[in-house]
Amino acid sequence: MAQETRIIENTWDLTAYQWKIESDALDLFVKGLKDKKILGRKCPQCGTVYVPGPTYCRKCFRDIDQVVEVSQEGTLDAFTVNLADVKGTIVEHPYITCTVKLDGTHSFLMGVLEGWTDWRSIKEGMRVKAVWKDVTQGALADLSHFQLTEK
Amino acid sequence: MKRNVAIISVGYNGRFVSKRPDINIPELIQPAVDTAIGKTKLKHDQIEAYVVGNMHTFEGINQPHLWASDHFGGSKKPVMRVATGGSTGASVYQAAYYHVASGMYDVVMAIGWEKHDEGDAQVGLMGILLPEAFSLFNFGPDMSEDRGVAGLGGGGSTGGAAFQAMSYLTKAHAGIEHIDRVAAMMRSNAAKNPYAHLQQPGCTEADIAKTPIISYPLRYGHTCPTSCGAIAMILVSEEKAKKFGITDRVAWVKGLGSGASDATTGNIIEGQITDPAEQYMCKVVAKKVYSMAGIKDPRKDIQVAEVYSGFSHQDLMWPERLGLVDEGKSPEMLDKGAFAIDGELPLNPSGGVTSTNAIGASAMVRVGEAALQVMGLAEGGHQVQRKIENVVAHGWGGLFQFVTVTVLGRTPVKK
Ligand SMILES: [Zn+2]
Repeated sequence: MAQETRIIENTWDLTAYQWKIESDALDLFVKGLKDKKILGRKCPQCGTVYVPGPTYCRKCFRDIDQVVEVSQEGTLDAFTVNLADVKGTIVEHPYITCTVKLDGTHSFLMGVLEGWTDWRSIKEGMRVKAVWKDVTQGALADLSHFQLTEK
Repeated sequence: MKRNVAIISVGYNGRFVSKRPDINIPELIQPAVDTAIGKTKLKHDQIEAYVVGNMHTFEGINQPHLWASDHFGGSKKPVMRVATGGSTGASVYQAAYYHVASGMYDVVMAIGWEKHDEGDAQVGLMGILLPEAFSLFNFGPDMSEDRGVAGLGGGGSTGGAAFQAMSYLTKAHAGIEHIDRVAAMMRSNAAKNPYAHLQQPGCTEADIAKTPIISYPLRYGHTCPTSCGAIAMILVSEEKAKKFGITDRVAWVKGLGSGASDATTGNIIEGQITDPAEQYMCKVVAKKVYSMAGIKDPRKDIQVAEVYSGFSHQDLMWPERLGLVDEGKSPEMLDKGAFAIDGELPLNPSGGVTSTNAIGASAMVRVGEAALQVMGLAEGGHQVQRKIENVVAHGWGGLFQFVTVTVLGRTPVKK
């Protein structure tokens, strides 16, 4: 019995979704991005600094409201290399998503990694800095990428 | 808990395979049920209650347990369905344990299955990710070129696991070759398990290294297959086990527990992404379970481990988080052959999840395989030959945050 594969082309109107998950953390975060600042929240009990900053501490399980501006430099924690695009075509310049621990913070921020020539030489623990879009508008996209500051 | 519980029988529907277009879900489950019952002197009507589970949404069928209940013997009997993502099978088994341990029932069957060819696992995963992804759209992420999709890679299975793999490798000072090596070991272990899906006798590190990178450092050869298959287990109380005269070849449940940490995609929104390789909850749960099982030193008292690793780097990570190996020392253990079936700590003699993954069954297969090892009934050459007192089985699922741990042993804990 022959197996038949059917491909159905369609579009999906995402604007139909009018709801959102309340996220004070991201509200605060994007507000800071507009001014090219990275904002988080600090737990007064255990001192943990979260970016983006939630309104409760996962360790102490208590409300936290102390807003802190954190460093725009940090260290590369983990990364993965996308060697192909969504359709599976091999790309010339691989797309690297990474998690970064900004100095003085205790959580990881996800972003895009640039400033490398050979991805095989990238190591965890390398120093990075945040790079901004020229014009910021209070959106996640304002933070363009993280740039490696060491080779 | 009030009473001791024993696993007295484990049955599979047959060998796990990619596709079973010839049968439907009830027909997939039924042979596993019949096999489990057939290995005992029990009759179908002696099963008092059923706990069943598969991964919700993956098969595109909403209430498969209602459809299948006539076929597994659940008609007019209590049936409970549990779904906790990848850890489903272990959660089903734990619920079945409590059915018996609590004194409510004496003979209970646990069934886990997945018929992956009926649906699309990736669509199922997207169903979990999408609400949070749509929420992120409210905050203006960069959607140019591939950035939008790739940026959300933290929610996709391999993408998220790749971060964990990278973090693990760095902390353990290990390389991608260690993942290749452990992956090869699992596929060759699978060749000794007649029920395993991807059986590659004598699979080598080089065979795995030839497979393409999916999301660095994870290759195709490091990822689990999507399998079709079912497992059924019978759990009975200590009194019933004595009454049936079957206290010899059974596996006693000595300790069990589960825990949850932060969900990965939820963390992106809430700013609480922590090290995905830390797996703090696994350490907490394991400690609790060992104390329940009366195990003082897991390295001495546990002889075999069956861990849930959807991706091969986890076969190195879990033994450490379960307290069986020092942090960062798994690559060394692997290199000296300690994890082999005849090694000092046999790891996944069955071939593990990277060889066979029918999701709703997988975490129960870990428990079932642990039970078979304790009973000495693992077939086809994957039975560990040295004396086994205790085996640990581990399950993992949800959005990286659910963990289940169980210790099965040859002798029950004194009540
Ligand atoms: Zn705190």
